Amino acid sequence: MTDHQHGGTADIDNNVLMNGAADGPGRGSGLSRRTLLGAAAIAAPLGLGLAACGSASSGASAEATASTGTAAKGGSMRIARPPASSAESLDPASSLSAYEYLGALYNRLVKQAEDGSVLPDLATSWESSADSTTWTFALRKGVTFHNGKAFTSADAAYTLAHILDPKIESPQAAVLSPFLSASGISTPDAGTLVVKLSSPNAEFPSLLMNYNCYVIPDGSAKTIGSTGIGTGPFKLKSFVPAGQGTVLANKNHFGGAPILDSIVFTAIADIQARVNALLAGQVDLIAQTNIDYATSKTVTASSIATTATVKNAEWYVMPMLTKASPFTDVNVREAFKIAYQPTDLLDLALHGRGTVANNNPVPPSDANYLDYKVAPDPDKAKSLLKTAGLSATQQLYTSSYDAVLTPLALAYQSSVKNAGLNISIQTASADSYFTDVWMQKPFCVSYWYTGRPVDQLLNQIFRAGSSYNETTWSDAQFGSVLDAARKESDAAKRKQHYQDAQKILVDRSGSIVPFFADRTTGLSKKVVNYKEYGFEFDYLHIGFAA
Amino acid sequence: MLLKTIGRRLAYSVLTVWLATLLVFVALQALPGNLAQQLLGQNATPAAVARLDASLGLDRPAWRRYLDWLGGAVHGDFGRSLVSGQPVLSEAGGYLRNTALLAGIVILAGITLSLVLGVVAGLTRDRWPDLAISGFALLGMSVPEFTVATVLVLGFAIDLQWFPAVVTAGPTASIGQLLPAVWLPAASLTVVMAAYIIRMMRTSVIDVLSAEYVTLARIRGLSSRRVLFRHALPNALLPTLNVIAVNIAWLVGGVVVVESVFNYPGIGTLMIQAVHNRDLPLLQFIAVFGAATFVVCNLLADLASVYLNPRLRTPGRAG
Repeated sequence: MTDHQHGGTADIDNNVLMNGAADGPGRGSGLSRRTLLGAAAIAAPLGLGLAACGSASSGASAEATASTGTAAKGGSMRIARPPASSAESLDPASSLSAYEYLGALYNRLVKQAEDGSVLPDLATSWESSADSTTWTFALRKGVTFHNGKAFTSADAAYTLAHILDPKIESPQAAVLSPFLSASGISTPDAGTLVVKLSSPNAEFPSLLMNYNCYVIPDGSAKTIGSTGIGTGPFKLKSFVPAGQGTVLANKNHFGGAPILDSIVFTAIADIQARVNALLAGQVDLIAQTNIDYATSKTVTASSIATTATVKNAEWYVMPMLTKASPFTDVNVREAFKIAYQPTDLLDLALHGRGTVANNNPVPPSDANYLDYKVAPDPDKAKSLLKTAGLSATQQLYTSSYDAVLTPLALAYQSSVKNAGLNISIQTASADSYFTDVWMQKPFCVSYWYTGRPVDQLLNQIFRAGSSYNETTWSDAQFGSVLDAARKESDAAKRKQHYQDAQKILVDRSGSIVPFFADRTTGLSKKVVNYKEYGFEFDYLHIGFAA
Repeated sequence: MLLKTIGRRLAYSVLTVWLATLLVFVALQALPGNLAQQLLGQNATPAAVARLDASLGLDRPAWRRYLDWLGGAVHGDFGRSLVSGQPVLSEAGGYLRNTALLAGIVILAGITLSLVLGVVAGLTRDRWPDLAISGFALLGMSVPEFTVATVLVLGFAIDLQWFPAVVTAGPTASIGQLLPAVWLPAASLTVVMAAYIIRMMRTSVIDVLSAEYVTLARIRGLSSRRVLFRHALPNALLPTLNVIAVNIAWLVGGVVVVESVFNYPGIGTLMIQAVHNRDLPLLQFIAVFGAATFVVCNLLADLASVYLNPRLRTPGRAG
């Protein structure tokens, strides 16, 4: 009996083993695919959280292939969005804010025009003292929050103090705190906000266009994350972090009531699932989603959906750590910048869907843009590398974090062969890419959303001392030109300073900026007047065709 | 003797789950990147990292943290989510319910269907029903689940629009909101899972039908129905049970891809979020839960085989 019993047990164990072996390859590769897909699924929200910490677009203009025209009054639009995190919140200042809700629920003091200039929103006008240190904002009258309370200067002052509060850890605090503290904010009367800066900044209002700067009611820090009470065109009905939420038209909005009656936001983490929802008619628009070339062909072939393009929505960069060998040598940096053909990279990595940047991260449509480039010259690059004594293979890090990173790395690798430059591509894990590789390895691939006003762009990403200075570049002249610009109250002279800074950046910085990439998103054919540029979304006019 | 067998099985199971907790803990320690750094992101100054390390208790030695965690887990306290601050169990509860719904449907419908198909294939060996079923099973085995899911979405959600392509209601969805959307993910999982069960059942039925006692039963003039249901099938089910057990465990622990494709708010979706957020307590709970499910399913399969196997069931007569 004992023998039989053992026999039985052994059979079972054998089955488990056999089954395990039979499952082995299938399940094993299934696991790695799962891991890969998981990484892809989280990439979009991460990209938003990390790369989108800037402010509204300076010049990324919408080229909507979506139809414009008369919208029928009313309707409920279903928008799919990537969740920021399972702990996402409606607090605009938070780094985990649920981005798509913000523009619907709130207003800022100022907003951005398509050409990058600063437009009034809750502030109707502003002026500065002669030395650009004291800014006085006249606030809009007769505006009420969704809870019926009147909007006053106390709310505006509270919003700024909230952003600067270290406990909130707002990404925009790092931009504003070098020259602004809560003690510098005062409210002489209900319609006036006065902000005193500790150092001159002639571009200060442009820094308030950032999407962390949406105005919240006085004293609402503890509740705003779930109540979403603002002055915007829609008011909150329901909100579940990383789930579904509904906003209803705010008939009392100072800019007029929106066309739509309501918007239902659905969080879908996986990009492919978002596209499937659109193609199955479950949602009308997919937000903050850059669909790849092949998928965009599928979407346009569908009978119910189409695509729209936001021009130059992102800029791609290969940061060279200027504190690490061999990039401490400015000649090596120049060689790496002129060794490649920008048009090759644009064609190979983006199917031509973008604009050549010539190593300048300021978009050509920006008023402060400087049309300056050092032409590609593989022969000169070769001789620069020879002089520098660099012959070793350089490692270039990439990951699947974003769909363009690896194609860009491969395109660069093949394009610089003519200059005798040998690149070996290292693929790193996507979910730790921005902690273990970016700003750690000497040479990698990265990207940012186009959208920072020129002052913030240059000071935040390229200047010594900023935590976002991804190349650790430190150039005294670059810094003093930017300081001069901030002190300059004459707009034309200020522009000159920003252009000087761009020239220094193209010549000496550690940033290879090959191109701006267009963003392609999907929407229902019934949607009209979809308009989005940088971090501005037109929630007032979007609707369904009449 | 029987009780001793069961007791030993139970003890092995507890030991396996304990080893799994240890392995999961060690694996999570080996994840790239410091947890505090991950949470702070680009604001990770050394001082902020040290402060957060202390507040999360990460400055204590690893063995101490493991023992504390194990002590809590024994009492049903799996710690708090680092992201939401809620107890892990209440955080995971809704997601577990949703996966249970999906898994329940797959187990009831999928396994029944697979067993029936397996028996039919075994009974019609090498004739067209067997060839069709075996062909289908081979296909299901070879195609990865996300491809099956995508094909089903294309056909039934996008072209025919019979079912929704994704769940839009999110983690707070009611059963009523989930029900219309649960069928495509359930079908994807069934296709992948069915293949293994069908093939095992088919082989097993063929083996049993050629066994001597079946021939003897036939010779003694028992009806074919009685031979099949009373004598052949219980024995044929025996080896299949473990395949089923392993597949159920896989279902509960690893539906990550399918849930992701359908935006289904289940434990797999939660796991992706936990990995993304480096929410270690939550991740640890999900991993240990998966391991425990695996062990429990295998234990149940063993016990069921004791029940089905006359030689194990009746110790006095066996020899």
